[in-house]
Amino acid sequence: MPKRLAIVTSAIALVLAPAAFVACGGDDSSDSAAKPSGASNAAQGETLEKGVTLTLWTMPNSPQPKEDLQKMVAPFTAKTGVNVDVQEVGWDVQFDRIRNAAVAGEGPDITQAGTTQVPFFAALGGFQDLTDKVEEIGGKGAYAEGIWNTTQVQGQDGTWAIPWFTEARSLYYRKDVLEKAGVDPATAFKDLDSFKATLQAIKDKVPDVQPFGAPGKKAYDLVHQVMPFVWDQGGAELNADATQSTINSPESQAGVEFMAGLITDGLFDKSQLERDGTQVENQFKGGRLAVWIGGPWVLGSIDRAEDDTWSDEARENVGVAPMPTGPSGKAYTFVGGSDLMVFKNSEHPNEAWALVKFLSEDQTQVDYAKLLGMFPARLDPQQQVGDSSENHKAFFEAIQTGRTYAPIPQWGQIENAYKTRFGNILDSAAGVGKDYNAATVKSQLDAAAKEADGLLAQSAG
Amino acid sequence: MAQTTLQPPPEARPARSLPLRAGRPRRRRRRNWFAYGLIAPALAFMVLVHLIPTAGGVVLSFKRLNTFTFARLFDAPWAGLENYRGILFDTANPLHSGFFGAVQNTAVYTFWTVGGTLAGGLAIALLLNRPMRGQRLVRTLMLAPWIVPSFVVAVLWQFMWQSDVGIINKVLVDYTHLLSERPIWLLGENSMWAIVIPSIWRGLPFAMIFFLAGLQAMPPELHEAAAIDGAGPLRRFRYITLPLLRPLIAVQLLFCVIYATYQFAIPYIMLGSNPGPDADLMMTLIVRQSFSNNLFGFGAAASVLLTLAMCVWVAVWYRAFKRDLEVK
Repeated sequence: MPKRLAIVTSAIALVLAPAAFVACGGDDSSDSAAKPSGASNAAQGETLEKGVTLTLWTMPNSPQPKEDLQKMVAPFTAKTGVNVDVQEVGWDVQFDRIRNAAVAGEGPDITQAGTTQVPFFAALGGFQDLTDKVEEIGGKGAYAEGIWNTTQVQGQDGTWAIPWFTEARSLYYRKDVLEKAGVDPATAFKDLDSFKATLQAIKDKVPDVQPFGAPGKKAYDLVHQVMPFVWDQGGAELNADATQSTINSPESQAGVEFMAGLITDGLFDKSQLERDGTQVENQFKGGRLAVWIGGPWVLGSIDRAEDDTWSDEARENVGVAPMPTGPSGKAYTFVGGSDLMVFKNSEHPNEAWALVKFLSEDQTQVDYAKLLGMFPARLDPQQQVGDSSENHKAFFEAIQTGRTYAPIPQWGQIENAYKTRFGNILDSAAGVGKDYNAATVKSQLDAAAKEADGLLAQSAG
Repeated sequence: MAQTTLQPPPEARPARSLPLRAGRPRRRRRRNWFAYGLIAPALAFMVLVHLIPTAGGVVLSFKRLNTFTFARLFDAPWAGLENYRGILFDTANPLHSGFFGAVQNTAVYTFWTVGGTLAGGLAIALLLNRPMRGQRLVRTLMLAPWIVPSFVVAVLWQFMWQSDVGIINKVLVDYTHLLSERPIWLLGENSMWAIVIPSIWRGLPFAMIFFLAGLQAMPPELHEAAAIDGAGPLRRFRYITLPLLRPLIAVQLLFCVIYATYQFAIPYIMLGSNPGPDADLMMTLIVRQSFSNNLFGFGAAASVLLTLAMCVWVAVWYRAFKRDLEVK
């Protein structure tokens, strides 16, 4: 008889697991939410205290993230006597770790954060407002407008981050494939029509390679892939004051339909929708895709012999073109990258700022960006990298005109909602979801807008 | 029968039912204290890591937790039944349709996973129960999927399902020509099968070993007698094997259903944080809305509802199988 009791008891214990689990998840924030962030009133002296150690969280930006960055900051330590402990935090956990650290008041001194995450983290209240200090590094004027916007929170005063390095999306293509298809690279991706015509020519004349591919809803950056086409058509993610979603406007719909239309026209390899961003990137590097939208880091990996994801043919024939222009005559692309944020509870705020300043020096910016295959965040060093080759020039131009999303704390959630719906639409176009037609697209975008409006209506009350 | 089963053993009954003989109650109490002392650490641990967080989860389900308030956690504004109303009745709330989609998917996933695991496990156990050469080797090999972590299972199958280069389509299309076109497994309606099949594959060995133990403990005389009386293999399975395995099936069913309903790793790793409308399960939905979207109130409320649903399942299961659990 006790056997029966034992089975029932263990079943109940198992049954209760999820309720307990959600409570656990929030716990580390709960205990510590009440803790004072007393460290912010640390000594405000001008001189730096030698021998202290700053903790810096970084994400896997380069092949050896921790070692590379540790080497990069060695001159800072030599000059100031301030030690830097570089700690690597994976991209898969960085959102949770930074959020928990900001809420708990127990974290490093400085952290790297994705540009679209900054407003959310800033709203948690755990970071220093750097407004009074930014003039020391040239202020707003030292950065491209789109990049500087990523340090702000819409509707609030304050500068919550300093841009660290930058990326924008451009079109990667295979020069040899274009040649076989008989298309002139100079005009191949000029506007949306020629972009489509180029893909069609590749499909017709070069059968052993897929014309184009992009990841599906598994990719963290699906929205960055689709939004340039939405912007091309005059659409937008939110209205100007970020109070309402406009993703279901006719213009936005036209943009999403352009991307989905590439699938229905057989120009977009639909099997790529099963993959995430890195996997699709490797498909281009492996020579299975002729055209692909990607960031500058891929350019940086061409010369890296140990990167064996490249096929020889692809490695030798990489070309980069700016994104095609839309009906308005303007080309749009997503500009992102990473910023540095200083924790409010840092016990060494002066030293932390000194490190941020060091990482913003032109030479450090160029050296580190080069290591990453990214672009420096500041205009002058950016220009230097842009001048280094034809392909880099395409990225430099993309950064100058690149666009980012409204800097509001709810953006991450809205992006998730859009990602889901964009994914569903692309799946439909690939023939594995609801029947693909204008009504399906419209209903998905209406649902996305409704969800976004609900998220925008969230308040602290 | 059930009532008597769940009553405490006679020693633990209140002292007043005992004859009032001097000295006995005190000794008994002392002995009880010793027993309580022994279970105290386990009890304290259970309260700390299980009951308190569970109670916390229930409290959170009544709070308005969003991007702006989640950091205050238990101090967040009280929302009453708002989360539950939004999930269950507010058709204008996008979380409502997402929740019911996930409920449906979880039911489909659980049905096929549990059905496949139990039926497959039983079938393999029956095959392995026959005397044959290399039985031990085959049995050991059959256990292999069980020792592979869910994470690895999901990663492996994700590669195998890929429509263009995956081995499954290669076999189905290129080698055997069973299909003329390459199906896309990881998107749309197929994605449900893409998670059900690896889940069955992973669960089979445990079910198999469980049933095999039951089969081997079965007295062979029963089958022999039935065979002499002219019963064929099917009838012997139907009237001897299956009834004798009922308690084992009952226990397996209970745990498999709970395990499948709470499945997270396989869909999450294979299909990402949002597996899409055809394969979004309750756990992926709860984790995504709580931890990516900061809607911890919604997540807690959905967890509580899921927990209640599982309590109902345990109750139904108990009524259906209570006789099978008695030690005869």
